[in-house]
Amino acid sequence: MKNDKKTEEITRKEAIKKIGNYSKYAALTALGTYLILNPKKAQAASPSTPGTDW
Amino acid sequence: MKNQDFLFKAIEGKTVTWCSNENQYVVLENITADIIKRLYKEIPIKDIAKALSKKIDAPEEKTIDFILDIKRRFLKSKNKKNRSIINDHRDVKNPENFEYVKYYQVNNIVFKVSFLSENELYLIHPKFSHLEIKKTNNYNHTFDVFTKHNYTFLTVNNQIIGSWSRNDIHYFQGKFSMELIQKIHHKEESEWMGVFHASALSNDKKAILFLGDSGNGKSTSLALLQANGFTCLADDFVPIDEKKQEVYSFPAAISIKKNSLETLLPIYPELETTAEYNFERLNKVVRFLKPNNTDFTQHLPCKELIFIKYEKDAGLNFSEISKLEAFQRLVPDSWLSPNKENAAIFLDWFSKLNCYSLTYSRNEEMIDVVTKIFNDEL
Repeated sequence: MKNDKKTEEITRKEAIKKIGNYSKYAALTALGTYLILNPKKAQAASPSTPGTDW
Repeated sequence: MKNQDFLFKAIEGKTVTWCSNENQYVVLENITADIIKRLYKEIPIKDIAKALSKKIDAPEEKTIDFILDIKRRFLKSKNKKNRSIINDHRDVKNPENFEYVKYYQVNNIVFKVSFLSENELYLIHPKFSHLEIKKTNNYNHTFDVFTKHNYTFLTVNNQIIGSWSRNDIHYFQGKFSMELIQKIHHKEESEWMGVFHASALSNDKKAILFLGDSGNGKSTSLALLQANGFTCLADDFVPIDEKKQEVYSFPAAISIKKNSLETLLPIYPELETTAEYNFERLNKVVRFLKPNNTDFTQHLPCKELIFIKYEKDAGLNFSEISKLEAFQRLVPDSWLSPNKENAAIFLDWFSKLNCYSLTYSRNEEMIDVVTKIFNDEL
């Protein structure tokens, strides 16, 4: 899987603001953590198959 | 009518949730999945919040916020803005002359495939050249491939299937393969559970899927294993049906990269010359190895999935891995049917799979382990 997460530097103050409502409630933060997986929208050949480079 | 439909499957302490709108899989905490279930049943948010607040010891107003957030994220209505412009291809006519016309036989089915130029030939033919037969008037299906206005078109029996830009050319190749398996196995697209970016090997009783990032030696391992008594069912494009969840044979050849030639030449001396397909005008050379399968009607059950990796000088490392880890690696690389029934079948099939990781540097050790897995000796 490609990792296309961007790292963005923020200050501590901004971080607390971002966590916002849930900062005090770790359980809610944990419940709100999930992983989204998208299958391919159509059948595909391997990108290394000849032809993908012309 | 509800905007979104769901499927839930408990796997290793989490709930894998399928969302119909985007044909998306989400790995959720069980409680969160439970909230979605309750929201879907239209249980009042206040009631859900009350129960949640008790369960996790958080104030009710915080749990209300949380539930509203979950509702906004998962129970949203389908995004209608994303509708694509439908192109009916009315003004696209098939060219009158095709530079290359090839005939391929798979079992007793003959395909007549016409390619406008060497560009189109290069996209398809090397993978199927081992199936080529002499010109015949007795063919069952006609496939035409041509490029117009920078889009490559595919027509099957004179029906336009689609067109793809150069950037999407691997989707064109995927669609070509999909149309081919539909004809070979007499199954419509809705009858497939998914197509996996893997290699499938069999001992004529069952199949095992081999997965791994590009360059990890998937195809090389497959070539080594087919020289050691196993059958290559499919490489790169592994279709599994919804009815019995069996791996179906796909007749394309195994693509061989330059860096694995040294390993494979002693076993397959033909790779030196005959398997080399030279596109003189395009100045490109590709090498494909014929699969040893002779019966392309075959389909076999599959209960094991192995992430395989060749690593120079590595010791043999074989271990069972978590299903959730395997799921995360498998899904983004696969086409999975968007039908709800098929998605349910996929989740059920996956939850029963055994998932392993295998790293090796010595071929004999790898072959030995795979043989043991096939014989249920591990």
